Amino acid sequence: MRRKERIDRGIKVRTEGIYAISSMREILYLLGPRLLLIVGLILLPFILQLAPYWARVVNIMCVYALVALSFDFLANYVGLVCLGGGFFVGVGGYLSAIFNTYLGIPFYLSIPLATVFGAFLCTLLFLPCLPLRGVYFAIVTLMYPLLLTRIIEAFDILGGTNGISGVDSFPNQYVEHYAIIVVLLLVLFGLRRFVNQDIGLVLRGVKDNDQSVRASGINVTHMKALAVFISAGIGCFGGAYLVHLYMWAGISLFALDFSIIPIAAVVIGGGGTLVGAVVGTFILVPLSEALRNLGTFRIVIYCVALTAFIVLKSEGIMVYLQRKYHQFERWVKV
Amino acid sequence: MLEATELMVFYENMLALNNVSIKCDDGQIIGIFGSNSAGKSTLMYVLSGIILDIQRKEVMRGGERISVFGRIALDGQEITKFKPHLRAKAGIILCPERRRIFPESSVLENLKIGAYLSSKKDAKQNLEYVFHLFPRLTDCIKRQGGFLSGGEQQMLAIGRALMARPKVLLLDEPLLGLSPAYQKLVVDGVREIRDAKGISIIVTEQYARPVIPIIDYGYILENGSNMLAGSREELMDNPDVKSAYFGV
Repeated sequence: MRRKERIDRGIKVRTEGIYAISSMREILYLLGPRLLLIVGLILLPFILQLAPYWARVVNIMCVYALVALSFDFLANYVGLVCLGGGFFVGVGGYLSAIFNTYLGIPFYLSIPLATVFGAFLCTLLFLPCLPLRGVYFAIVTLMYPLLLTRIIEAFDILGGTNGISGVDSFPNQYVEHYAIIVVLLLVLFGLRRFVNQDIGLVLRGVKDNDQSVRASGINVTHMKALAVFISAGIGCFGGAYLVHLYMWAGISLFALDFSIIPIAAVVIGGGGTLVGAVVGTFILVPLSEALRNLGTFRIVIYCVALTAFIVLKSEGIMVYLQRKYHQFERWVKV
Repeated sequence: MLEATELMVFYENMLALNNVSIKCDDGQIIGIFGSNSAGKSTLMYVLSGIILDIQRKEVMRGGERISVFGRIALDGQEITKFKPHLRAKAGIILCPERRRIFPESSVLENLKIGAYLSSKKDAKQNLEYVFHLFPRLTDCIKRQGGFLSGGEQQMLAIGRALMARPKVLLLDEPLLGLSPAYQKLVVDGVREIRDAKGISIIVTEQYARPVIPIIDYGYILENGSNMLAGSREELMDNPDVKSAYFGV
């Protein structure tokens, strides 16, 4: 009788304690994957200078990655399955457009302002549904973007169906690229750090068993609101950036795409890994762009690929890769 | 007759069950005693096949790899590869640890869910039998399972398992968190099930004293291995068993 055994690689065990790192190889083992992502992302606009269309896809891809990160954080670390990605993007986008066109605030201030005020506004609007859990929270948050779209349409405010045009663009291509890439990297590594802080641990506790957290004398609603604030901030930044990229804010910012594609990305990348959300969008968004000339048929391919993925490799790419990177397998006799 | 031979279970690299063989003849009550982490629940999962389900879920989640070895036979028929629902059909019914009743269904509904596999007539008969066995349940027939007390929940869980017409009933820590009075009610119920229906019963427990009077044969598990086996008298006379599992 034999069974397959999984064992941590020696180098993983050695590098786990920061004081144990003693060779270049071990430093590389730790930094390698991180550097691959960081350097790869930073070099991407340079590589894609030959294909300007795809360079633009990178920007949009990063926006989706941000929204996916905010979804992954809320769903897998706080236990709130939030389908309101489109809501965050829309609120951030419209606020930035208002700040920029109506109040004349330059883009480098309007984006941060829209991020903070947008996050605040989203949290305030989500406050009544924070006690909800699971599918109820998901449904209510899905309603919000639809609701706001209809309000804008019906009252013909904020440009109505035409949207707000004449938003400032970025001064040059590099600012355009790196504004989003740098923020994406900061958010990714920041969130990874945040979820392992004390407060992140409390949030995970809220996910696992909110009664126990309550019994420890912690205000659960307060914690959830904080998590929504962070998550909404990330989404709002994405929206605010997008508005300046397109030089236009319209109701398409509330599109269902911003709620659904991030979820698919998180499923593909591996929920709860945070990096997985980014990797998932980097696969999904270019794929959907590449299939664009197939017309509506791309949805079919998209759906089949997604279903196959969920059925065959439901753990997600990052979970799989991390295991292969940190562990090896061998047959042992029982 | 349920016979499990050389069961081995690994949770990733941790050995949870090591070469455990147990045998349960028709109409016997078998006791399995062990402290926490002895492998009692794992043994129950293996016998009822739930381990196959856990295994699959872990694979899908990308979690631990669970390896199961050994053979299980029911009445001479090999059932090692049977999925949990087929084992239930074959007559092995698990009454899980911490009861796991359906909290939002009423007592009657819980029992009816248990009777899914049996015919209408059998279900009616069994229902009467369960209420005869645990008269307390008749008082709260319409109440939601989640609002019952621990003891009532345990009776309900055993009742639900009975509704499926088991040949072998697996009771995983049925006395968990019960007062001595309720423990007695449950233990008497277990004995009566065996006497009246001839159902073989495997009971796991940490504290052997309340259960020992009703068992025919017992096994002591320690760190996943079968340390000792013997009839009721043999176990009661063993000084090590006495100090570890009887508290004297």
